[in-house]
Amino acid sequence: MDPLLRPGHCAPCMPSALGAPQADVFDRMDVRAAAGAFGAAPVAGAGGALQASFSPYQDNGGTVVAVAGKDFCVVASDTRFGLGYSIPARKVSRNVVLTDQVVLATAGMQADTSTLHKVMRTRLRMYQQNHNKPMSLTSVAQMLANTLYYKRFFPYYTFNVLGGIDEAGEGFAYGYDAIGSHEKVKVVCTGSAQSLIQPVLDNQVDGKQLQMGADPPPALSLEQTVDLVKDCFSSAGEREIYTGDFVEICKITKTGVEIELFELKQD
Amino acid sequence: MSILNYNGGCVVAMAGKECVAIAADRRLGVQLQTVSCDATRVFQMNDRLFLGLTGLMTDVDSLHNLFDFKVNLYTMREGRQIKPKTFSNLVASTLYEKRFGPYFSEPVIAGLNADNTPYLCAMDLLGAPAKAEDFVVSGTCAESLFGTCETFFRPDMDAEELFETISQALLSALDRDSISGWGAIVHVITPDGVTTRTLKARMD
Repeated sequence: MDPLLRPGHCAPCMPSALGAPQADVFDRMDVRAAAGAFGAAPVAGAGGALQASFSPYQDNGGTVVAVAGKDFCVVASDTRFGLGYSIPARKVSRNVVLTDQVVLATAGMQADTSTLHKVMRTRLRMYQQNHNKPMSLTSVAQMLANTLYYKRFFPYYTFNVLGGIDEAGEGFAYGYDAIGSHEKVKVVCTGSAQSLIQPVLDNQVDGKQLQMGADPPPALSLEQTVDLVKDCFSSAGEREIYTGDFVEICKITKTGVEIELFELKQD
Repeated sequence: MSILNYNGGCVVAMAGKECVAIAADRRLGVQLQTVSCDATRVFQMNDRLFLGLTGLMTDVDSLHNLFDFKVNLYTMREGRQIKPKTFSNLVASTLYEKRFGPYFSEPVIAGLNADNTPYLCAMDLLGAPAKAEDFVVSGTCAESLFGTCETFFRPDMDAEELFETISQALLSALDRDSISGWGAIVHVITPDGVTTRTLKARMD
């Protein structure tokens, strides 16, 4: 048998598009509705027949953004922990400061986020002990991709964004999917409000949709980038239920990481 | 795949100071294949009222013809132009009549009231109305449009500023949706008349 497909080492399906009705790990699934969804003949039984089900995944929402400048990077994430239509917690951190030049932010399932952050911190500490220097941004980026792909057949339900300053002193960000596919960019956003925020970043940072022949937009300073990120999260918080409460903004410069907490609406 | 995503397309409407603007893309596709780049999904009902329809193109056409017919009859019988809120109600009732076999289209209504204040209303395919003071969106990239409109909108813009704002909001959102695009058209309605402009956009 294929060793990579060992029993117990494969994920059952990722959270279904059913959304709120089956939000939690242990839920009661309406047998007839579920059978209908899979195209099988519905089970004839007493009205409201329920069956316990287990899914290893949960979607806790959250949005993360990274915008890199010439010599800085801003990594921001909201702090709302959502579950279905409820909010179990309002101030949960999705960021981890890995070195004083690199910050990892993760949206998706909070349990997998915590574990992934713990694994990354541990591996970085080991690298520091073995090599007597902190890991560079490029190395962390590759290590994160490897860590995610290691669990290719039972993935971390995480949507990651890595931001920091590379060895040449220039700011960069990396965007990841759940199994480690990554891309080095200047601007990236992922999570529940990705479709709301990404077009705004395209327009304001990349200067897409300007008139033909117009000058490209001037590079944003650190303060302007932080203001733009705050605007993006305010807009997302208005229109998206999983984004809100607070935004934790990490500003990475050559002197280190400064963290600011920005309040959003709690509704 | 949802039937509302079969043809692709989107519409957005925004309010300014004594003006409204309504904009849409021009793509008509069959799933991922593009069939036409000059599809019309925004229709003028009278000189101060526009209707935008997203979703399945056949239902867009059918509803447009049906509402033209109903508005014409109303004008003949009443001897006056239909008000935006009355038209809104008409659209909602027409859609709800088909509650158990609906039209697969989500309309957006933009108009000016008699006192020149803007009127905006969006509806789902069953006719549930949602009025707004600032902007309304509909279509396959509705989420992206929510993001851009929420960030770029400010209250009390004049006609020129409103045109720029709604254009940037639409174009930025379009470019993140593979089944919307291939051009854009914007109508700005003021008490003095309607200005229509097509936008130079990415043709993909």
